[in-house]
Amino acid sequence: MVDPILLIAIPLGAAFFLGLLRDEWRTSAYVITLLTLAFVSWVSSSWLLGFSLDKIAPVEILTAGSEPPFSINLRMGLNESVALLMISLTGLLSSIYLKDTLFRLGRRAMAVLLVFVMAMCGIVLTRDIFNLFVFIELTVIATAGLVLLSHNTLSLGAGFKYLVASQIASILLLVGIIFSYHVTGTLNIDGMAGMSNVLIQTSPLAFFLLFIALVIELKPFPANGWALDIYESAHPAFSAILSAATATASLFAVDKILNIGGDNWLPFATGIGILSFIGANLFALAQTHDRRLMGYSSVGQIGLILIIIGQRDILGENYFFIAGGVLLAHAVAKAGLFWMSGLVNARELSAWTALRKRPMLIFAFVSFIALLIGLPPFPGFYAKWELVHVLASEGRIALIVLILFGALLETAYLFRWFGLILRHEDEAPVVACPSQKVAVIYSAVLLGWGLGYIWGELSGFGNLLYTIPLLFALLFLPLEWLPAKLKNTFAIMGLVTWFIVQYPAYDPLQLIFAAIILPGGALVLLASYYNSGRRIGFYPSALWMFAGLSMLIMAEDSFAFFAAWESLTIGSYFLILRGKQSQPHALSYILFSLGGAFLMLLGFALASEGNPLFPLTSLASVASDLAPWVFILLAIAFMTKTAAIGVHIWLPGAHAEAETDVSPLLSGILLKAGLFGLFVLLINMGKQQLYGVELTHVLLWIGAISALLGNMMAIYQEDAKRLLAYSSIAQMGYALFGLALMNHLGWLMALMFVVNHYIYKSMLFLSIGGVAKRTGTKAMYRMGGLITLMPLSFIAVLIGIIAVSGVPPLSGFGGRWIFYNAIMSAEYRLPMVIIFLAGPIAFLYLFRLIHTVFLGQLKDEHRQLKEAPFWIILPQMIYVAFLMIFALAPGLALQKVDGYISRFFPNNGLNWEGLTITSDFGYWSPVSIMIIIGVIFVTLFSWLLFVNRRAQKVKQFNIVYAAERPYRPETTHFAWNFFAPYRKALGFMTQPLVTRFWDTVAELLHTAADLLRRLYTGDGQTYAVQLLAFVVAVYFLGNGVM
Amino acid sequence: MEYIALTCGFLLILIGIYGALTQSNILRMIVAFTLANTGVNLVIVGIGYINGRTAPILDTAVPVAEAATRIIDPLPQALVLTAIVIGVGITALMLAYAYKLFTLKGSLDITAIKELKW
Amino acid sequence: MAFEWIQIPYALLTLFIVVNYGFILNALIAKIGARVGRRHGIPIWQNYLDLIKNYSIRSSITHGVMFYLGPVFRLSGGVGLLLFVPTIYSSVMFSNLSFAGDLILALYFVFFGTLGMALGAGESGHPFAAIGVSRGLAQVTASELPFALAVFSVALQYQTLSVTDIVAAQQGSYLNWTLFTNPIAVAAAMLSFLGAMMRPPFDVVLAPQEIPIGPPTEYHSSYLALMQTNRAIFPIAKMVVYMNLFFGGAISWPIFFLKIFLIYMVSVLVGVVFPRFHVEHSIRWFLVWAVPLGIIAIMVV
Repeated sequence: MVDPILLIAIPLGAAFFLGLLRDEWRTSAYVITLLTLAFVSWVSSSWLLGFSLDKIAPVEILTAGSEPPFSINLRMGLNESVALLMISLTGLLSSIYLKDTLFRLGRRAMAVLLVFVMAMCGIVLTRDIFNLFVFIELTVIATAGLVLLSHNTLSLGAGFKYLVASQIASILLLVGIIFSYHVTGTLNIDGMAGMSNVLIQTSPLAFFLLFIALVIELKPFPANGWALDIYESAHPAFSAILSAATATASLFAVDKILNIGGDNWLPFATGIGILSFIGANLFALAQTHDRRLMGYSSVGQIGLILIIIGQRDILGENYFFIAGGVLLAHAVAKAGLFWMSGLVNARELSAWTALRKRPMLIFAFVSFIALLIGLPPFPGFYAKWELVHVLASEGRIALIVLILFGALLETAYLFRWFGLILRHEDEAPVVACPSQKVAVIYSAVLLGWGLGYIWGELSGFGNLLYTIPLLFALLFLPLEWLPAKLKNTFAIMGLVTWFIVQYPAYDPLQLIFAAIILPGGALVLLASYYNSGRRIGFYPSALWMFAGLSMLIMAEDSFAFFAAWESLTIGSYFLILRGKQSQPHALSYILFSLGGAFLMLLGFALASEGNPLFPLTSLASVASDLAPWVFILLAIAFMTKTAAIGVHIWLPGAHAEAETDVSPLLSGILLKAGLFGLFVLLINMGKQQLYGVELTHVLLWIGAISALLGNMMAIYQEDAKRLLAYSSIAQMGYALFGLALMNHLGWLMALMFVVNHYIYKSMLFLSIGGVAKRTGTKAMYRMGGLITLMPLSFIAVLIGIIAVSGVPPLSGFGGRWIFYNAIMSAEYRLPMVIIFLAGPIAFLYLFRLIHTVFLGQLKDEHRQLKEAPFWIILPQMIYVAFLMIFALAPGLALQKVDGYISRFFPNNGLNWEGLTITSDFGYWSPVSIMIIIGVIFVTLFSWLLFVNRRAQKVKQFNIVYAAERPYRPETTHFAWNFFAPYRKALGFMTQPLVTRFWDTVAELLHTAADLLRRLYTGDGQTYAVQLLAFVVAVYFLGNGVM
Repeated sequence: MEYIALTCGFLLILIGIYGALTQSNILRMIVAFTLANTGVNLVIVGIGYINGRTAPILDTAVPVAEAATRIIDPLPQALVLTAIVIGVGITALMLAYAYKLFTLKGSLDITAIKELKW
Repeated sequence: MAFEWIQIPYALLTLFIVVNYGFILNALIAKIGARVGRRHGIPIWQNYLDLIKNYSIRSSITHGVMFYLGPVFRLSGGVGLLLFVPTIYSSVMFSNLSFAGDLILALYFVFFGTLGMALGAGESGHPFAAIGVSRGLAQVTASELPFALAVFSVALQYQTLSVTDIVAAQQGSYLNWTLFTNPIAVAAAMLSFLGAMMRPPFDVVLAPQEIPIGPPTEYHSSYLALMQTNRAIFPIAKMVVYMNLFFGGAISWPIFFLKIFLIYMVSVLVGVVFPRFHVEHSIRWFLVWAVPLGIIAIMVV
């Protein structure tokens, strides 16, 4: 192993050597710089390998030939080597990225850069407090020096503000050091830690000054105006170092210093961390400047790590796993994002639309924000999971809630930004991307995924990157250059194969869901053959969603379940975002979904009491005081996915604006994830009571109200796909209602809805999508009379609406029949009233859908339309066949499930013998019904044909219309505001109260962010005053609390 | 004696910080910080001083054997040297900023540097 | 109960009786209505004359497939509804095809004809058809609700969904009728009945049924003949459900005729007295006056 002292000596020497070179020898100077940084990286990585693979012990490096405390000592351990590697790699990559700039600025800039990296390495390595001070000051000087080299007034101003703040920090630090020394008689950090008691007892202020000065180096909110200015104005490659490397080093310093203070000081770190995490993320909401936004985000992330540091007393051996995961993920992601910002010319967020034509860069961006937020399979995900579990087991629930709230804020602005990039109406011109810059960015991406792999290995929960479905989805990334049709074939084959492979492992419940997800998904994907070109981004997203779904139903422990849940959420988010107008809807989708996922995380953490691999079946044995809370959290999480009323506002836009073949995936398949979750929840937890309130009873009400309001809202829609989307809310309400009945038939009905809703909603979305494709509009009043032009689509819609409405003889009736039988033995009757009211309302919108699109008056501009494309029609016809089969023989799918449900509710099952299905209360014979209706219908039809054989086909306007013949279909087609009387009578029930509520929440947050960020006046002295005020406030608040 | 040094030191720090926060001219701010740094240095040295002892120079006047009881703490004095050096470095850097800001903006008013905010 | 071929002629016999009774009853009711209004009214065999006239009209047009199928759906709905419910209690002959399904089947099959009719009328392209449908559907959501609640209440009361079992439970004495054992449910159902019978004050829509504005606007000749036949069957089929659920069913045809007539008269008596509601008014009326009764009915059972 190379002596770590060289990590200091070599860069320092190289920096001096650069000073000796001639100014013109820029290439050699640059080569020396790169070589030095490469050397440092190599040394750090060799130590890292040594520590991690060969398990060598941490090494103490002595200087000046004597033992500490008489000389400075350095320490090299696993954590140090990781941090050093992070710092040096950031430096190396940044200097590659900075090639042009460094050539322009010359050797001095390179020397300062080397000193900068060296100083940060020093901060990590040193165990001497005064030495730490020296390295920190060196960092400050190097930072300010690098900023000084720019000729930009903005960054000069920022640099000066930074120096002012650093001066104050260094005064505090020095005073703190000297008094701590005075009390303890040593400058060695470990020595001081040994005398911690003495120091804290005699002079807590001295330690406080040490601590707070180092914390200030972390740029905590709100004492950080100067830092944000640097982030905003400096060269992005430099900001990358500042955000990734300096933050790493400073956190290391704080961590060391807290060894001296002991556990009593951890709440300080926690408090400051929380304030930073939430405050910075809140302020970032109001940002339109990309680099300032990233600055806020960095402050927030460092706040998060500070929180983690504040928890190290309880994190135990997981401390480094968690802190490291978040820290490294942040470092890689933020460096990557800053590097990317160098490719974009303007500083508004919308200027990033320039990346739109570069799928690789989009992928990079996605990876970075996923790293930041901690989505699977990145380190933050594992870390977050572990952290929340430990916190929950220690009862620090409030802290979890705050952390998750901050994370949600962060999600909001990061995903909004991403949405803007893909979907903002103006598209900035494509930017030039110098290859070395792009290479640097890609290496950050690789690093990020590599970290994901490593953390997966370290986690002990199972590495997500080994799961076949996720790997299969990732496989489509390198295949993106292939034509879409080929990829579609792969995707379909993959789904079907996975189903066949997994088939023996499914129990009946899983089988129903798996059949919908895998072969069902393949069926929907048939429609995707319609698309030509390469369709970049579709397949990785879709398969990521499918991977999540198929892992979800097989999940046995809470971690697998949660990982699958987040995966399917992300995949579906990208799918939704593909719609042209879907940016705001995709955003609200991801916010509600991740909000729900966070509740789930909290729920599992509470339930498991700290066991991160909590078997789902153990939900049954959660302590009784916790159980109702766990139930509520999980139920809300699942209901965000089924779009129960209150958390439904994302669904209509998301489903309606999605692409033709995406809508059925979302509606027919994705919604079922929530239902599956509810099944798992209810199977394992059953009924729960909170303060005497039966929670399943509450679910019953929510289901009923969702059904009613979903239907009500559907009837007022002018947009056909929105109508279908609202109808899904209602249908999921029915299913939720069935589940919440907590009896045999209720569950059977829910499952029937799972199957039926998949079939008819996929079919309807495809038909309407096909029509919309042909007519170029989704507004129903702009269509009309398409029956003769698009007969197959009409048939699909006709069958679909008969099935949805529950009219015999199609399968929807079976659902209704089971429903009535289920409520016969239900305990609560009042919610039924609402369901009863909801039922007939479905007819309203269904009739409107088919009438205004296919019947009525054909518009002039549609006279030449053709039937929807073959590939869109094909799955619809298959669905029609399915509906018929399912209508005749519902037992095919339900009989096994009925038996399965008997495990949970042995009574009230159905009797499937013969053709007639009987329950305790009634009977139903699908085949007889079909035959009787068929015979009657055919007889009467033949009779009409016979008596009416001379009927003449007449033209469109040959109608009796107040003795006139209208010639304008627009004025004769009754379609707009179809149910006006209904709106007059009951319109008050569909006031968008929920939407208004969530809008107000968003509005409040944004307004607060926008007002409060004016705190950062831009005045360097104000910042300094804020800094001092912060120090004083922390001191007094801290003392007050302690 | 050491209390006078310490008091002076803290007084200087306070004056320096007060100046840095209230003076809008960049050069005056730099001077104020220098003042504050001096105060810090004074505090450091003042901490190391022990009444009635001599300078930590080992020569004939102070034999090695008696050093521990006769000299003041040498470490703060060593620290102060480093602190001074760093202080000079930073002061120089600030002056360079002042110069460059002046050439670019034609003003030394810190309150005029507010382009970046919120 | 299983299927035997002999049930087909039996069912046809029921159908035959009901169609004729329906024709005469409709004319009678029209006559009663006319007399209340001091008019003479139509002859009692008027419906037969209309039927013959409609079948003999030679001009016949069609607007398309759904237009053609509309009346077929409509009449199938009426016939099906009639046949899925036993007409005469304890008579094998007139149990019809009720082996296929229970009460729920009857309730949901009501919509079969409505839907088909609405679709057929929609294809004519006549805006009045669509307006009629939109009004009718709007009103039906509110007017059917008390009925559905009452049905649920009755089903809970007797713990069965089988119509035959419900009728059986009411045998013995008229005091066993649901009318007396569960009067609130019956009250709710009868208020709903007013809305279902397309008589004033709830006839502004008349949309799923047949009136000048609404679906039949464009229908004529044999189409109209089918719909006219349905107009004879459908109300009776519906009243059979009422009779079976609330009024003890019928054990013979005379009782059947009497009970149906009396049930029909309820709506007639109300209808001749009251003026019309707007759709939005009738929706509110049902929700305010009838639905609470229904809710009470299911809560107290």
